[in-house]
Amino acid sequence: MKDMYLGIDIGSVSINVIAIDSKNEILFKSYCRNSGEPVEIVKEVLTDLQEKVKNRYNVKGVGVTGSGRQLIGYILGADVVKNEITAHATATIYYHPDVSTIFEIGGQDSKLIIVKDRIVTDFAMNTVCAAGTGSFLDHQAQRLGVKIEEFGELALTAERDVRIAGRCTVFAESDMISKQQYGFTKAEIIKGLSEALVRNYINNIVRGKKIKPVYVFQGGVAANVGIKAAFEKEIGSEVIIPEHFNVMGAIGIAIIARNYILKNETDTNFKGFAVTRDSFNTSTFTCSGCPNMCEVIKIQANGTTIAMTGDRCGKWSNSLKSSEDLLDTTTA
Amino acid sequence: MKITFPHMGSPLIYTKLFELLGHEVIVPPKPTQKTINLGVKYSPEFACFPLKVLLGTYLEAIEMGADTIVSSGGNGPCRAGYYGEVHQRLIRNMGLDIDFIIFDELKRDYKGFINKLKKLKGQHSWFDLYKIVKTAYKMAVSTDKVKKFIEHKRPYISDKKKLNKVKLAIEDQYREIKTEQDIVRVEEYAFKILKGLDIEEKTGAEKLKIGIVGEIYVVMESGINFNLAELLNDFGVEVEMSHYISEWIQENLIPFVSHEKEIMKKAEDYIETIIGGHAKQNVGHIVDYKERGFDGIVHLKPFGCLPELVTQSILDKISDDLDLPILSLSIDEQMATANVMTRIEAFIDMIKQKKYKRSSDHERHVFGY
Ligand code: SF4
Repeated sequence: MKDMYLGIDIGSVSINVIAIDSKNEILFKSYCRNSGEPVEIVKEVLTDLQEKVKNRYNVKGVGVTGSGRQLIGYILGADVVKNEITAHATATIYYHPDVSTIFEIGGQDSKLIIVKDRIVTDFAMNTVCAAGTGSFLDHQAQRLGVKIEEFGELALTAERDVRIAGRCTVFAESDMISKQQYGFTKAEIIKGLSEALVRNYINNIVRGKKIKPVYVFQGGVAANVGIKAAFEKEIGSEVIIPEHFNVMGAIGIAIIARNYILKNETDTNFKGFAVTRDSFNTSTFTCSGCPNMCEVIKIQANGTTIAMTGDRCGKWSNSLKSSEDLLDTTTA
Repeated sequence: MKITFPHMGSPLIYTKLFELLGHEVIVPPKPTQKTINLGVKYSPEFACFPLKVLLGTYLEAIEMGADTIVSSGGNGPCRAGYYGEVHQRLIRNMGLDIDFIIFDELKRDYKGFINKLKKLKGQHSWFDLYKIVKTAYKMAVSTDKVKKFIEHKRPYISDKKKLNKVKLAIEDQYREIKTEQDIVRVEEYAFKILKGLDIEEKTGAEKLKIGIVGEIYVVMESGINFNLAELLNDFGVEVEMSHYISEWIQENLIPFVSHEKEIMKKAEDYIETIIGGHAKQNVGHIVDYKERGFDGIVHLKPFGCLPELVTQSILDKISDDLDLPILSLSIDEQMATANVMTRIEAFIDMIKQKKYKRSSDHERHVFGY
């Protein structure tokens, strides 16, 4: 059996799973919407993966990234659990070693990562504003009755320019409605919207930071040729879309997991595909045992508590005889 | 009088001060999500975030029985100076009959200051008052010494749970203090058990140091800054903060003593005048941290804080000039924990990469291990 490393990216909008071999070649790739039940989705994808690679590959390492990384990391027994900025940058630098600037626009988050000599030197991330993200585009596409897949191409057919106010989703929407009434076509409105989104990104995320080529644009929104064109127009330079643009986080964390296992010569903590048959439940509470007021997280599998974390004194995490032992029995 | 006060960092010092003066003290709870929700609900929307959390704290303490709130005013061109007044009105408008004792700068209102002191000292003589204040101050100095030790060593202590228990035990000891002699004894005890822990200090490229700067309340109150110091410690990073309670007392309450001048001087290139809050001090601290070989800075800015907004706007330039990575976080009730964790972790990965850049074992470290 050959070796395989898993990378899982639990984003707020999508959940991506990647399997690579020991040479970083992609063996399996899955991109699905996060319908709000990440554990169930990951279980389904892993079942599917197991079917496909049956007995030919052995899981040697697991990495989890994304905003929901901690919980899934616990449940699967991940070897590395890391933030999506490092994960994204790792994948981009692997495929495009000469990259200087990474634009990443996902469902809810937008990021800028600045790289020098294959090392991240600066980054920025949106906090509250959603006007420059994929969800905003989805919503507008729906409102205009255009399929999101066709959104970008349509923008390229526009004949005139129209400027849409893009600082805030609410204003953008009402501005679009009034511009439609002035007689601009759907294609023109969409082009205007793409440019507004890019302007918003430049104003809110880049914020005067010095950026230079090579530019790489990734994340779910990179599928949109209209946005790519708007970026190129705004910065006056070519923008590269990597082949696996929408799963770069998962690829990056798989590479990190692989490196971790190989460098440290250790065995994986992966609980095995049997976890896909367990049912998990998590809850949190604030402990009032002392002035620390810790937020304690409790994870249950098939009704048995398998892990407690977040306590700073060990009162809760030590109350289980050993979370490791318990995990073994529940997933056997 | 059932006295309460703002929870900012450890409530030990104020508790001790008022206890020694013979008052009943309602120790305010450490701010949690509940405190924030409560404060946000009853505060003007555009007030700065600390004002909201403090209001929440007061309301919780009032629920626990407090009838008198003691706080300090502010100075300089920053809204913190109005906090006492605004809190008082908000609370009175809610129909609560609560006494406020707000200490403004001594030189601004000498007579008022003395009157307020009289109220607090009760039957004690002025000399007693002096002794008690001195004890509380000594205790602040002592607890900060312990705090700094932990912030430096915690990254190298593998048994964090044990350390946390030790910390709680030390706090319990400080709580029992009556005299200055007790402080000496407790401090000795504290360092004895702390030094008895397994400490495996790192050196060279593996040693990472981050300075925390920003508005004083969000820097000092771990309940609303995601427990930043410990969080960084858990990532293996040594930490130092730009604000400690004992230093605040030195600067603001003890005449003729100031260590801040030197720090302020270091900020001259970036901020010439005092614009309120601790903007100038913070910039000075950033320069100072760089000079002392720190690897990065985390800047905390409560949403709505003008002085820190100014600081934030020049951080890119400072970072470029000094070749020092700076992460600026804005803190308010909208801040999602996942987002903050991601940025802090990525920031640490970044400074690690930078530090290991020329190290032979580069690849290994790039991925954080
Ligand atoms: S879990 Fe432990 S440290 Fe945290 S609040 Fe409870 S008793 Fe205190």
